[in-house]
Amino acid sequence: MTGRRLGLAAAVTALLVFSLFPVYWMVSSAVDPGANTRGAAVLPSGFTLDHFRYVLDTGDFTTYLANSALVGAGTVLLAGLLSLFAAVAVARFRFRMRTKVLLMILIVQMVPLEALVIPLFLQMSDLGMLNSLLGLTIVYLAFSLPFGIWTLRGFVAAVPQEIEEAAYLDGCGWWRMFRSVLLPLVAPGLVATSIFAFIVAWNEFIFAFTFMQNDSKYTAAVGLHRFFGQYSTDWGAVMAGSTLITVPVLIFFVLVQRRLAGGLAAGAIKG
Amino acid sequence: MATDRATGPTRPRPGREAGPDRPAPDPARRARRARRARALRPWLLLAPALTVLAVLLLWPLLRVVLLSFQDYGLRQIYTGETHWTGLDNYTTLLTDSALWTTVLPNTVVFAAVCVALTVITGTLVALLLQRLGRTWRIICSTVVMTAWAMPAVTGTYVWIWIFDPLGGIVSGGLDALGLIEPRETNWFTDRWSFYAIATLNVVHHGFPFVAITVFAGLLTIPRELPEAALMDGANAWQRFWKITVPTIRPVFTVVTILSTIWDFKVFAQIYLMPGGSGSNPDIFNLGVWSYHQSFVKNEYGMGSAIAVLLTVLLLAITVVYLRALFKERDDL
Repeated sequence: MTGRRLGLAAAVTALLVFSLFPVYWMVSSAVDPGANTRGAAVLPSGFTLDHFRYVLDTGDFTTYLANSALVGAGTVLLAGLLSLFAAVAVARFRFRMRTKVLLMILIVQMVPLEALVIPLFLQMSDLGMLNSLLGLTIVYLAFSLPFGIWTLRGFVAAVPQEIEEAAYLDGCGWWRMFRSVLLPLVAPGLVATSIFAFIVAWNEFIFAFTFMQNDSKYTAAVGLHRFFGQYSTDWGAVMAGSTLITVPVLIFFVLVQRRLAGGLAAGAIKG
Repeated sequence: MATDRATGPTRPRPGREAGPDRPAPDPARRARRARRARALRPWLLLAPALTVLAVLLLWPLLRVVLLSFQDYGLRQIYTGETHWTGLDNYTTLLTDSALWTTVLPNTVVFAAVCVALTVITGTLVALLLQRLGRTWRIICSTVVMTAWAMPAVTGTYVWIWIFDPLGGIVSGGLDALGLIEPRETNWFTDRWSFYAIATLNVVHHGFPFVAITVFAGLLTIPRELPEAALMDGANAWQRFWKITVPTIRPVFTVVTILSTIWDFKVFAQIYLMPGGSGSNPDIFNLGVWSYHQSFVKNEYGMGSAIAVLLTVLLLAITVVYLRALFKERDDL
């Protein structure tokens, strides 16, 4: 019995260390005054916010974070709206080609971004939308739609048809039913979709890196690249920037983790 | 959330069937109209999403195929002319020994190793979560989430810093033990150690999805099954292979294939590592090679051909994925 408990304790410890170590190393290097010469010191040599001050003030990171937040918010709004409409269509209506549409949405999701970056770069450059945050938002919208539609489809299908019918009996039109009955019931799914869309936009690298040619338009993920020197890197600054990018995502994940797990399981098992 | 009030460009029109009726509506015609409105409504709802997907995913996909049959460089960008070269790009690509000795192995072997390690680690973590009490289960699953939440870009930077030859913890620790000479050791220049670090990065980022999904699957297994097996004297190993795996096979299928697709198209994790952006051709994978051909060498046609090759590989995996999915359930 004690042997089993010890085994469990060892496994839990290994899991915690493996999962948390990079996060710990990032945050502790970001506040370490002597980050560059830290070596194998497990604890930082002190506590300072200088690295954060440096990236935010001198490094223009405030602009990058604002750009990322703007693109993220735009993506969330558009993706939530468009995928909810599409999800209602595929979950509530039986129409010809319904399965084909669903499959197409699933398949386009598999297309590698590296294959799209070339034609989209040329397309955006023809339209004069390189270097534009709006252009980037529209691209991210396309990337978050397939997941959004598939996730919301499950949530919409889970709302019993009888509730809708009751609303119709009470004299609601379809639009009114959609707004007052369906929307509140699928709100949790909408939250999950929004967070996914936000994270897609916040984390994306290739497109932001390729499209944005002007410093002032960089998103945070791309702006971080600037702190890399040709020969030496200021690791304190890079880790401070990384912390600023990671923290919002981390908070989102922990907030929705239970719902996320449930949604994924439902998608994997029941479809 | 007030998204319903936002006015999208193609917002579906509410209450179509409630429009002004003719003075003496013929019931049959009215029914037909209602039916037509009903048939139209799903398409109105789908229109905005499908338009975005068509313009930003399908058309570019078609265009990358067209580009792969062209010689498309800076000249073509500026003049706008089209120079078809037929299968030239593909001939060059498929007869390039770098493809067979470096790029394809880097892509395929790396993905295979990452998927195997990700699924094994994730399953072990799921089994561990199942054995824990409530409190520790919540603690562990929250901590696992932090590994998942770490964005690929910052995660990659942290792993680079951990393995930094001069100030990183690994070389510092090994130096303190007298095992290496830090100034003479750079793990990022050698193909194998470069990909070992990339594997660690990808597995660390990928195992939480497997763990959480498999754990949710484990919860659906009826309690009686393992208990009955225990009565019959099956040990843990037998119970896992004879009961757990067959019962939640669909879950394993999904996580394996999704991980395969993700690991095939790893880009930022390679590109951002030292030497990964093109200065070291030994470590190109298909994605980075395509990007390098296009945006550094300005050979967009050739880059497109490589991208098409990657897409075809992924499409083949997707077909397997859909087959597996449909075998498990009949309708969508």
